[in-house]
Amino acid sequence: MDLSFYIQLLLNGVVIGVIYALVAMGLSLIFGVLEIVNFAHGEFYMLGAMLAYFLSMNVGLGYWPAVLVVTAVAVALGYVLYEALLGSLRGQSFERSILLTLGLSMVLQNGAVFLFTTTPRMMQTRYSYSNVIVGDVRVSVMRLFALGLGLLAFAALYLILYRTRVGRAMRGVAQNREAALMVGIDPRAVSRLAVAIGIGLSGLAGAALAPVYAVHPLMGFSFVFKAFAIIIIGGLGNISGAAIAAVALGILESVAGGFLPLVMADALAFIAMIAILLLRPQGLFGRGVRV
Amino acid sequence: MRKVRVTIAVAAVAALAFSVFARAQDGPIMIGSSIPLTGGVATFGQHSRWGSELAIAEANAKGGVLGRKLEIDFQDNRCNPAEAVKSVTQMLAEKKYVAILDGLCSSVVLAIMPLVERAGVPLVVANASATSIAERSGVGGNKWTFKVNPTDASMLDALIGWLDKDGKANNIAFLGEDTDFGRAGSTGLENALKKRNLKLATVDFFQKGAPDFTPVFTKIKAKKPALLALYAVDADFQNAMRQWYSLGGGVPLTGRVLVDQVPKEIIDSGFLDGTTSVQPYDPSVDTPGNRAFVEAFKKLHNVPPILVSFEAYEATKVLIDAIRRAGTTNPAAVRDALATTKLPSMLGTTIEFDDHNLAHNNAIILTIKGGKVVIVGMSKT
Amino acid sequence: MRGGWLRAFLVVLGVAALFAIPRVTGNEYVLALGVSFATFSVLSGGLNLVYGYTGLLSFAQVGFFGIGGYTAALLVTEQDWSLWAGAAAGGVLAALVGLVIGYSSLRLSRHAFAIVSLSFALLCLIVALEWVSLTRGAMGIPGLPVPTLSLPGGLRWRLGRPADFYYLLLGFAVVAHAVIYLVVTSRLGRAMRAIKLNEPLAQSQGVNPLSYKLLAIALSALLAGIVGGLFVFYLTIVDPSIFDFYYTETMLIMVIIGGPGSFWGVLGSSAVLSALPDLLRFTTDLRMVLYGAVLIAAMLLFPGGVGGWLQRRRLARWRRPGAVAP
Repeated sequence: MDLSFYIQLLLNGVVIGVIYALVAMGLSLIFGVLEIVNFAHGEFYMLGAMLAYFLSMNVGLGYWPAVLVVTAVAVALGYVLYEALLGSLRGQSFERSILLTLGLSMVLQNGAVFLFTTTPRMMQTRYSYSNVIVGDVRVSVMRLFALGLGLLAFAALYLILYRTRVGRAMRGVAQNREAALMVGIDPRAVSRLAVAIGIGLSGLAGAALAPVYAVHPLMGFSFVFKAFAIIIIGGLGNISGAAIAAVALGILESVAGGFLPLVMADALAFIAMIAILLLRPQGLFGRGVRV
Repeated sequence: MRKVRVTIAVAAVAALAFSVFARAQDGPIMIGSSIPLTGGVATFGQHSRWGSELAIAEANAKGGVLGRKLEIDFQDNRCNPAEAVKSVTQMLAEKKYVAILDGLCSSVVLAIMPLVERAGVPLVVANASATSIAERSGVGGNKWTFKVNPTDASMLDALIGWLDKDGKANNIAFLGEDTDFGRAGSTGLENALKKRNLKLATVDFFQKGAPDFTPVFTKIKAKKPALLALYAVDADFQNAMRQWYSLGGGVPLTGRVLVDQVPKEIIDSGFLDGTTSVQPYDPSVDTPGNRAFVEAFKKLHNVPPILVSFEAYEATKVLIDAIRRAGTTNPAAVRDALATTKLPSMLGTTIEFDDHNLAHNNAIILTIKGGKVVIVGMSKT
Repeated sequence: MRGGWLRAFLVVLGVAALFAIPRVTGNEYVLALGVSFATFSVLSGGLNLVYGYTGLLSFAQVGFFGIGGYTAALLVTEQDWSLWAGAAAGGVLAALVGLVIGYSSLRLSRHAFAIVSLSFALLCLIVALEWVSLTRGAMGIPGLPVPTLSLPGGLRWRLGRPADFYYLLLGFAVVAHAVIYLVVTSRLGRAMRAIKLNEPLAQSQGVNPLSYKLLAIALSALLAGIVGGLFVFYLTIVDPSIFDFYYTETMLIMVIIGGPGSFWGVLGSSAVLSALPDLLRFTTDLRMVLYGAVLIAAMLLFPGGVGGWLQRRRLARWRRPGAVAP
């Protein structure tokens, strides 16, 4: 196999890995700060994509404005979600939070199917069919845009977490909730922001990918279980760990898909997760699974 | 005074009884249909429903059958045999349905075949692809099940025969969804190739709903096959097409490519020229019957029919014709009438059932030339 | 004690009535609902044991159900085993698998177990689709033969009619629930409840949490596996859709509405929720939206479900001054 084959696989993997990372980081942030596993995370990705589709096809918004609008709406939705549902849980019970968000995912997913039917919709943009070609290696322009958005989001998240006070507060709560409370950090404000950012990232991923994949109500389902596996592999609550694990998984899946049956690539995430849990339960980058 | 009141009361009761009796005699003929209205393949269920409803509406516009109107009830089976068994058992227990239609998914049809046999109600299969359905029907098997759509195996045989004529059949890669549809495709192709001492170059399956085909497309392209047989539908097909395009394609497609659902931009660009596909139907088949069907369908639903809509439409017409010829709504009589069906199909052939209750309609071989879908031949299956 | 006898009498009466139904009505649909109720009540009863009593959220039930189904189908069609043996083997295999995933993840935490159980259920689906040489993949194993059971006393019972399956599954459901009832009202059940309420405290009292958790998992898996083996013969086909996530959602709703930890509550809710959806004829989408909303409401407002609410009322009455202790 010539070099361009490997490069193509690698490139595909990086693009998909960055998208996984967008979704996984949001999930990890929410878990880190609130100790809640958000089952409905995939549904916000789906809603972001559907909203982007409607904005661009029915309202006629361009690609970049649509992405901005969708991200803003997702962040606002995150606030609402916290205030209406998650806030009252207060890390009381892990099981209850899973069931609550599972219920939310059932409402959102089936509601979307009922309202929009499962007919897939393809979002068309000016660049839908343009490709960047370097030798034998090809990447579609929309994927490069998605990659760019993902990297932008990484940078923004890094800045928020490491350069702002509220970001430091979030990291503090994620590291040690009790200690953070003792030094006077307001858990509600921090949690609300964490949920808003987490959902915002998910919506952003949806909007970024709407022109790349078919948009339909069941599109969030496959992503969310992989995202769970990723945050466990990276280390529950460790946001950068999740990002690294996501990109690594993307690349691994792509390379595996190039040589092994595609299903092996699909199952890789779950197999790796189970292996990590058995061999190194705190995840690759630690923080540990809290009891 | 009392006598008058009594007379009026008796008359009223008599009139009521008569009207109820009369209505029972003239009530609509009920057909039951079990399709996936929700779940992963709900789009197909939707089209199956539209196809059946159009056939029923047309029959009713001509005065119905046996002087009565036709009505059809749809029950959701979610493409899940357990759900289907429950809902079809309910339909059969109500004892008001002349026949049951479709099922749509092979596993569903296989699960409800014993039910219709026990209840003595005919089942007309419009869409399911499993060859085992016909194998288990008719002589020596389930006498109540009739399959109108051709088996995948026979369609693929026709396709391979066509490709072999041009010597193109010896280096085919396969990529299909991991369902009974996709698996039937790979087995059908392999069997058809084995008859000519050939085999598939590579075989790959993907999970339904998996959005990313770039790794497997890259792998397939690197092996440089002459043709790629693609068995994907719905959202997967749309994703696959777009990603195939972004990877530059380079290998003509074949199999059961849904040429009527490829995005316009991709076809127009000439990117898919050279694709050869076999389908039980295409909206551009040029017969008067089909043209009328496509028009009527588009007027109602704003989208052209897909093969599922066509298959449901024709299967419903077969059933209506059988009821008419049976002259009664007795399910056993309808079953016997079905067995002697000789109905012209919109594809230009005649629908008749063989001794396994399987019809052998034409399969359509399509190719894409100069950015347009062209029908190059029809092959009896 | 008089209350206890009355309750036992009512239970016997109820069971007898259920068994009498096929004599009263030949309506196959009622029998189908009965089979559905029997099967799902065993599944949700097992889930109740693991989640309601022992406090472990588990998504693995559907995996055990499917493993039981496939094992029984394969053993009967390929190795000529009897249905009893096939279903039993399915249950045992499911229990062993349950022990493995339980042991490996519970060492870490309940959270890990919840997520691993979810991935296990998904992996089951993938394996069923991919290991074609074993499971026939997406095509499934259709045409399962009509089973003939040998009963004690040399009788042979051919399960040719739906009523036969009704009796079989109902009978097994009664046995399964009896076993669950015995466990939860015994010392084992008290230990499980103690572990759910306050694990460190229970540990300090000498209870080994891990062994009780594993017991709950293994028992629920055993029952789910056996009922799966029986159910697939009723359907005459087993295919990967037996692992549908939709079943997990339904089981969870049954447990949540009935009340986690309430034996009668979950039994009642599985009866209602087996029959109601079909009677209401909602489309499945709306029904799932409703279930989701109920789940959300239950988690926010009344996590105890119907059973919990009844329990609280009983306790409130007891606490009223002048009331007699129960």
